[in-house]
Amino acid sequence: MTKNLFHIKESITTKLIIAIGVLIISGSMIFWYAILEKQEKYLTSIAIKNGVSFIEYIKKGNRNNMLHFLRDEIQQTLQDISIAEGVEGVRIFDHTGKIFYSTFEEEIAKHIDTTSIACRGCHTDIEESSALLTESKKWNIYRKKEGFTVLKLIEPIFNEPACYTSECHVHIKGQDILGFVEADLSLALLDEAKVKQKQALTAYVIIFILAISVSLMIIIYKIVSKPVRELVNGMERVSTGDLDHSVSINSSDEIGKLAEAFNSMTRDIKASRHKMEEWTKTLEDEVARKTDEIKKTHDALVQTEKLASLGRMAAGVAHEINNPLTGIVTFSYLLLKRFPPESTEAEDIQIIIDQTERCAKIIKNLLAFARASSTEKGEININDVLKKAIFMVKNQEKFHNIIFNLNIDDLSLKTIGEEHKFQQIFLNMLINAADAMNERGSMTVSTRKASVEGKNYVEIEFTDTGSGINEKDMSKLFEPFFTTKPIGQGTGLGLSITHGIVSQFGGHIKVKTKVGKGTSFFIRLPLLNPEK
Amino acid sequence: MTKVLTIDDELIIRMSCERALSSVGYEVKTASGGKEGIGILEKERFNLVLLDLKMPDVDGIEVLKLIRVKWPDTKVIIITGYGTDQTAEETIKHGAHYLLEKPFTPDKLLSAINETLRL
Repeated sequence: MTKNLFHIKESITTKLIIAIGVLIISGSMIFWYAILEKQEKYLTSIAIKNGVSFIEYIKKGNRNNMLHFLRDEIQQTLQDISIAEGVEGVRIFDHTGKIFYSTFEEEIAKHIDTTSIACRGCHTDIEESSALLTESKKWNIYRKKEGFTVLKLIEPIFNEPACYTSECHVHIKGQDILGFVEADLSLALLDEAKVKQKQALTAYVIIFILAISVSLMIIIYKIVSKPVRELVNGMERVSTGDLDHSVSINSSDEIGKLAEAFNSMTRDIKASRHKMEEWTKTLEDEVARKTDEIKKTHDALVQTEKLASLGRMAAGVAHEINNPLTGIVTFSYLLLKRFPPESTEAEDIQIIIDQTERCAKIIKNLLAFARASSTEKGEININDVLKKAIFMVKNQEKFHNIIFNLNIDDLSLKTIGEEHKFQQIFLNMLINAADAMNERGSMTVSTRKASVEGKNYVEIEFTDTGSGINEKDMSKLFEPFFTTKPIGQGTGLGLSITHGIVSQFGGHIKVKTKVGKGTSFFIRLPLLNPEK
Repeated sequence: MTKVLTIDDELIIRMSCERALSSVGYEVKTASGGKEGIGILEKERFNLVLLDLKMPDVDGIEVLKLIRVKWPDTKVIIITGYGTDQTAEETIKHGAHYLLEKPFTPDKLLSAINETLRL
């Protein structure tokens, strides 16, 4: 992936550089060639103009000599001119091509080469006819063996009145052209200038190409290559999980927009991931909470089972103890009768009897309590169950400093339910009340008939002089695992279970509380056969 | 003289009953199990039987049923360590005259006997 992107990026840059480079180089070459061509033409035209002027000088300079037919003078003038730099040769010949004067004396009286430019410049084919070209070209450039180029120019000598009226009468009136002046002029200097110009231009073009190429590479690097690399780098980092990374491309072009879109996408992914992590965390918390709840429930169940086992064992022990207790009581009685009633011995024996009877009572209650683990539903006398529960707790250390005010109606108040469950809720209420009072205070337990909304209930009231319940806790009072007791002392299940049991048998619980004064719980259970 | 038979596998109960009752003029005999009790009953007539429910050889209920059939004049007081246990209550249905919970004082025993014999 990375390698591919890198390749693509590389090829984009390379392709751009190659394409633009080829265009620049081709354009520069064409430009270079066109300039050189134009320059050459221009220089040649100047050379031709100068050549024409040169021939005009010769013609003008020799006009008088020609009119007076001073042949030697003419020849001498040509000889003198040929000495000048750049003059390769000058000749004057008549319309038939016969040379009269020349800087090369050996040519005089000979005919010029009819295949030469001197003839082909004007005639279509001098060998065949004397027909003239429509546009006569009076010059030609050729290269000499020495290496430099030479401009060959030819100019006609037109007939004029002075020619055919002069004394020599050599020329007749009807003749248009009397002859030609032909000059060979060296272009060596021009060649040199051209070469130098060509070199300079080539150098300029190369510098231009190099400068453009470098600038182009820098521009492409800045506009394309660098941002693309940053994008690729960003994508790599994001793909490896670094969602905090953002691509910093501050341009408004397409790459800038791409970077912006990419950054936005990364932010979206990050937000999504964050949300997902939050969900996961919530889920984990929920699982942890539920696990904790299950653990607490399990602990409570284990505790209940432990208590049940303990109860069964206690019941077995209690039953066995009844036999020796019978013996102790019986023989104490028999012993008691042997002493006078007011004697110390009689008093001591009476204590033995009293305490043994106390043991018997404890065991009786313990047995009753253990028996209540039956899960059979049936008629329950609330007062009996309540009395047993109170008896159970009264001897516990927790209740030693609590004064009980019992207003338990002697009437038989019956309801339908399971005795052990009622015992459990009454014990819960008593223990909670003791805890609320820090095990010191007075506790009122009352039972009565109550009629609520046309229905008859057994109402069991538990009132303590404890700390009361604040408003905030009231709403959570019957929620499972809600406890205000120190950690490890309460499971937070007591009131929840109580509520559950009361509801199960069609009852409800009312709470009245005053912070700092105490709390009253009213447990109402449906009254069975109220008329009986 | 009122004759009382105590059937209980617990020695202390047998001793307690014997001492408590003989001291006030009852003629008391004891048996340590159901089988032995039935054996004694076969030989003698008793006004009252103090009968424990749970015994290793013959159960108290079986002895009760037999007494009700064979010696209908003999009164039966059930002595039990299980309080108002359902099994104990059942014995009343089977013809026991009184249910006395352990532990009991000599006074309680005597009042129970008196009450039963008055029936």
